[in-house]
Amino acid sequence: MKLNWLKVATVAALIATIGLGSVQAPTKTEAASKLSGKIVINGSSALLPLTLQASNEFKKLNPKVKISASGAGSITGPQSVRKGIADIGAVDWDATKAVPGFEAFTGQVANKVAVTPFAAVVNKSVTATSLTTKQLQDIFSGKVTNWKEVGGKDADIIVVNRAFGSGTRVNFQQKALNGTDFMTKGSNYKEVKTSGDMKTAVESTPGAIGYLDFAYITTKMTGVSINGVAPTVDNVINGKYKVWGYGYYMTKGQPTGVVKEFIKYVQSAKFQNGSLKKLKFIPLSAMK
Amino acid sequence: MIDTSSTAGQIDLGGSLLTGSGKPFDRKKRLFVMNRLFRYVCIAAAAFVCLILFLILLLMFRTGVLTFGEVSFSEFFLSTEWSPETEQYGGLLFIFGTFALTLLTLIISVPLSLLIAVFLSTFVPTWLKNMLRPVMDLLVGIPSVVYGYLGLTVLIPLIRDVTGTGMGDGLLAAALVLTIMVLPTISRISDDSISAVPKKFSDASYALGATRFQTVWKVLVPSARSGIMYAVILGMARAIGETMAVVMVIGNTPQLADSLLKPTSVLTSNIVMQIANVPFDSTWNYALYLMGFLLLAISLLMIVGVRWLQGKGVQQ
Amino acid sequence: MSNVNSAANANPFRGKRGINSFNNRVFTIAVWTLGIVVVLFILGLLFLILKDGLPKLSWSFLFGLPSEIDEGGGIGPALLNSFYILFLSLLISIPLGMAAGIYLAEFAPVNKLISFVRICVEGLASVPSIIFGLFGIALFVETFQLGLTILGGAVSLAFLNLPVLTRVTEESIRAVPKELKNASFALGATHLQTIVRVLIPAAMNGIITGICLVAGRAFGESAVIILTAGVTTSGEMWDFSLFSSGETLAVHLWYVQSEAIVPDAQEIAQKSAAVLVFFVLLINLVFRIPLWLNSRKMQRS
Repeated sequence: MKLNWLKVATVAALIATIGLGSVQAPTKTEAASKLSGKIVINGSSALLPLTLQASNEFKKLNPKVKISASGAGSITGPQSVRKGIADIGAVDWDATKAVPGFEAFTGQVANKVAVTPFAAVVNKSVTATSLTTKQLQDIFSGKVTNWKEVGGKDADIIVVNRAFGSGTRVNFQQKALNGTDFMTKGSNYKEVKTSGDMKTAVESTPGAIGYLDFAYITTKMTGVSINGVAPTVDNVINGKYKVWGYGYYMTKGQPTGVVKEFIKYVQSAKFQNGSLKKLKFIPLSAMK
Repeated sequence: MIDTSSTAGQIDLGGSLLTGSGKPFDRKKRLFVMNRLFRYVCIAAAAFVCLILFLILLLMFRTGVLTFGEVSFSEFFLSTEWSPETEQYGGLLFIFGTFALTLLTLIISVPLSLLIAVFLSTFVPTWLKNMLRPVMDLLVGIPSVVYGYLGLTVLIPLIRDVTGTGMGDGLLAAALVLTIMVLPTISRISDDSISAVPKKFSDASYALGATRFQTVWKVLVPSARSGIMYAVILGMARAIGETMAVVMVIGNTPQLADSLLKPTSVLTSNIVMQIANVPFDSTWNYALYLMGFLLLAISLLMIVGVRWLQGKGVQQ
Repeated sequence: MSNVNSAANANPFRGKRGINSFNNRVFTIAVWTLGIVVVLFILGLLFLILKDGLPKLSWSFLFGLPSEIDEGGGIGPALLNSFYILFLSLLISIPLGMAAGIYLAEFAPVNKLISFVRICVEGLASVPSIIFGLFGIALFVETFQLGLTILGGAVSLAFLNLPVLTRVTEESIRAVPKELKNASFALGATHLQTIVRVLIPAAMNGIITGICLVAGRAFGESAVIILTAGVTTSGEMWDFSLFSSGETLAVHLWYVQSEAIVPDAQEIAQKSAAVLVFFVLLINLVFRIPLWLNSRKMQRS
């Protein structure tokens, strides 16, 4: 009895699926754009909000283009491109050059799409909110374990780090710590998987220090001034604050066709000064 | 029958009995064919499930075994130094972590879920039962991300306050989150198998003057043992394989857990933290696949162990 | 002396009766307390998840398109994809899993190989979902070159659920009393008739529990979908194409919680969690309706 009922439901649903699918196709063609094709984007999760927003807008302008995006981690970007399973690999560093832990990807072109500023962040309970590069190095390498050693209250420092291979981690290590190695163990050290987890961990753990893209910094945490320079967009643009990096779209050779148009759209002044700014990235043009 | 055949004259008596009405697709033949067909379909389905299993094993093993091209067998299984940045691939701490976490989870969750199963199956009136069961099932459906988030924002601060440690991440937090996650699985399946014990068993027990306590522990639970064991195995399997929630509360630090409150790492959390961030053709990636394979090996080992224990219990 | 002794001999339970009834009372109280505590705990947990999200739900949230920049984004396509992928994966996994379970319970010979297969199937249930995700990538993205699709997500999800479904079916068919089966055979029913008309209906309770567990897990699964179906929806509300990318609600929840920059991310996460829990409850209820009807019918006859 039940099986029969299931069968009927299944068949009905399948028919509905096919029917709706075929009905919908012609309604889309009314738009004027001639562009069509499919773009697969993979890679950095930090660039994912930007990619999603851009693909939404791009799809509205070119209804025949299909874009599917996913984000697992920076290094998956150029790797998927190399394997040919993605057309664009989003990555937080220039993957045509080697960075600590990762080799260079030859035969790929790095297309700059945004400027991402980073900041060290501390829990609200921490009073030491201005640190020198040396102090940051000591904290993240595990040499300094109490906030009073860097001018704060007597409390343990809890270091929250991103997993190895995170684009944010690579950039922070290069730009804020000048390449000093992170600590890897200890009872007051943990690693988190995503920016969101980092945000939650720093917000909810007293004495915690971590680092985030500007976009994720909330009012429940404090951005640390490095060598007396506060982490603000203005300071990044006027060159005083050094901890920032470019976000890249990697492609196999020079981009062509739809992919080229899509990257062009992301780099266009309209997107850069509009949506991209709203997402708290900094437009490429501001850095010249 | 005989009457009709004799009036028709030509039809062979024995033949008509053998083939029914004589039509090519009569009931008997149809039943026979259907039976055969159904059997083959079932066999094909089972074979397909095995094929998937085999393919996944192959995928993990083929990639995982490449690890030993660069890392010695003893280093991977005996060393606790995991720092792929400096080419050290010691997997012992993760293996230990997985065992410790699973055992701890089972120690907390099995007695608890068994009591809940007894509660649901023999204590509660039917109307309440019908309300509670879907609620238990509901807990399974809550995404692990939500459990992890609650663990991070509710449980860990609680552990921090109670124990006075700085962080609160570690085996204890992970085991507590996992307990909540496997609780419905174990208790609902045990509940079903206790309910499936024929009513005459408990009737007979009560008739002999046994109390409810005696009936439950001496009659119902032993009769439902197979189902309960299966429930424990499923719960254990889920505990071994759970990733998204564990990764948020365990701390992900590659160090051997000598305390319940020390941030550590297990096979699953390490795989999920790093798999997206490693180069495809590196020893590191191979090592992660090997860990996936190990995970399966460990759960198989534990399942065999549980079955062995169960077999022992039956012999007594 | 001898009188007392013989009286004690006559009733072997006499000395233990006090302890027994004491044990029984302690046990009853303990189980009731624990039961109530656990029920309260579960309700508390549900309250914790639902209290922030449920009151703020609106139709525009349920059916609206998600937004990356502005507040007020919805979850429409993700919600639809959730159901679509769940439906497709159950469509694949229920027949396969049940048939395999029936084979193991009814047809399989008793030998070492089969018991090994059984252990393997159980072992497969413990493989972390991310491995199924990797398998899905290897199969659909690399071998078949499909890209990130709803089809790939649904099939990988079905694979994830196969072991549980297979074993639950097998267990519940085995739990059906032998008498029923014998009676059916004695009435001249074939094996197929016995399975379809007697064993499966009698085992329905267990099988439905299994399907509920599996459906709930599939609805809340994120790791597999992120890898095989992507984090984008096709951007339209009613898109049933098998080959567009399919972000589900659980994935959207993960995304909003971990990477999204929208100012109301927290609120969206809470609301999505509430919606997820609500629909899991609904799925459970829907699957149980035939069961209730069935038990009604049996009681009446």
